[in-house]
Amino acid sequence: MIKYFLFIFIYIYSGVSFSGPFSDFKAGAELSEELSSSPTAKRNTPNSDSLVQSIDALNPENSNVWRDLQDNLLGNDANVLFVDDIKLIMQDYIEEAHKVPLIVTLPKRLHNFKNFVLIIENNPIQQAMSIRPYRLIESLGMNIRLEDDSPVRAAVQADNGIWYVGSKMAFVASAGGCSTPACDPSVEVCETGTIGKIAIKQYEREAGAERIKLKITHPMETGFVTDLEGEIIPEYFVKNIHVDDNEGAIADITTFAALSSDPVILLDLPKKGQSVRIHVKDSLGLEFFSYDNNTM
Amino acid sequence: MKFFNIILFFILNFYAYPSISSNNFNLVPIEISDNVFVIIGDNENISIENGGAISNTGFIIGDNYILVIDAGPSYIYASNVIDIIKSFSDLPIQYLVVTHHHADHSFGISRYLEIDVEIIIAPAELKRYLKYGHRSLKQIKALIGEDWLLDTKINSFEYKVKEYPISLNLGNRNISIELFEKGHSDGDLIIKDKNSNILFVGDLIFNGRAPTVPHANINNWKNYIDIISKRDWNYLIPGHGNIIKNKNELLPTKNWITFIDKTAKEASIKGVSALEIFNEGLPDFIKKYKLAKETWYRDLPILIDKYEFD
Repeated sequence: MIKYFLFIFIYIYSGVSFSGPFSDFKAGAELSEELSSSPTAKRNTPNSDSLVQSIDALNPENSNVWRDLQDNLLGNDANVLFVDDIKLIMQDYIEEAHKVPLIVTLPKRLHNFKNFVLIIENNPIQQAMSIRPYRLIESLGMNIRLEDDSPVRAAVQADNGIWYVGSKMAFVASAGGCSTPACDPSVEVCETGTIGKIAIKQYEREAGAERIKLKITHPMETGFVTDLEGEIIPEYFVKNIHVDDNEGAIADITTFAALSSDPVILLDLPKKGQSVRIHVKDSLGLEFFSYDNNTM
Repeated sequence: MKFFNIILFFILNFYAYPSISSNNFNLVPIEISDNVFVIIGDNENISIENGGAISNTGFIIGDNYILVIDAGPSYIYASNVIDIIKSFSDLPIQYLVVTHHHADHSFGISRYLEIDVEIIIAPAELKRYLKYGHRSLKQIKALIGEDWLLDTKINSFEYKVKEYPISLNLGNRNISIELFEKGHSDGDLIIKDKNSNILFVGDLIFNGRAPTVPHANINNWKNYIDIISKRDWNYLIPGHGNIIKNKNELLPTKNWITFIDKTAKEASIKGVSALEIFNEGLPDFIKKYKLAKETWYRDLPILIDKYEFD
């Protein structure tokens, strides 16, 4: 008799759908239909309670780490406001945690922001990047690593000194975006590109606006991954990116290994830049230029 | 107790696909023509319910030899297929043709190596199988559990480089195998049984679901679909989905790849990110396809990235 029950249990249990909870890429705590109706066994993966879970997790009052993060990254006496109009566009449910695309769109009143910090609460490296702009910026994009399910927060400091924070909950299907190798040499052939190769793309947008995309070939080692002998691969990442054009500086970007390998950074400017170029420094002090440096 | 058994019967039948505990595939061979068989896979994504058995497997029995088309997703799957073949014929399985390297078509190879079968696969695809197989195996295990993939290994094996097209004689049964380079994959093999005029085309054609494009050269692929369409065949066996009788059933594959390719190219020209396209919602055009959303979300960023920075 017990055997029968066991059978039934296993059959019912295994019948629970694991099939694709894919997102509608809603900003904020909204979740797609599939997400809120696809129960899975693992804690913190999308299930019928995901929406509630994500609203809970996004509430800084419920976070064990936010308070410290805020003090460390935004300043001890920072004036912080959580808002809905900073939109983080990314998947609800992440399959490939080594490379998670994200776009942050800012409301018009924040286009002249002074400082931008991207924070991934549950990462071993919680700060992914920060930007000090010299011109107006409408939106920003980047590829990040996620170690586990986490609130992702974009903190934007306005002219008045106040930090406005937009948030988005991301659920990770297989954890370890920071601590497992993006390419595992024990089981596959890994091709490493030339370090420091730079690609810059400029795209015209509506009303004279422009999108700049930068791609830098770099391993962005987190320092949490071990090699075949069990030795830790030391951290090695792009640290600074200075973006400018004929008319001067556009932005100073500070980056950390919570950005994906071969990071891509996107900047939307309301005014077109003229022949944009970048100067990159990494954590070993190597410098890379998108232009001939001899002219300097 | 009797009543209980009846309930149990219904519960067990309700779940058509066997589960973690049993690791059996519900494989049903269909004889399309005399001695030409196909086992139609679950036309879905790889899941814990279907154990990865999502693609089609074929076998052709001649007077002397048997040829199998595609190894399936795992060792256990391949074992089941071999058992089915043995229930029809005692002749030796001489050839295994692997149409391309993707896991759902190739991971049964380890089982066939045990029975001394000659494996025919495009060299470029063998390379990819060996290069990405371990990683892919790990990912699939994480997705559906180790049990489904028990004994499944990525083995290298002795391999003779072939001149295509290959002609084989299974004993009063002539088979030709053609190589279509850099189409859906780097090297897709198409198998024709001349006696029955049946064509096995692997994943160059998907029937009843969205085609996947991660390793595709879409221009070539579109040309190949035209070539296949112009050929003479009675039945065409796609890599996924039901047997095809009419040429117009090839169009959905061509239309999807044309659409996703155009979308990706336009995005890469304008610098639009895949996320922004996703945020607009699913285009009406693709909504009618099964697995549209999953395939769209997975493949579009890959294509845009390829066109943007390559």
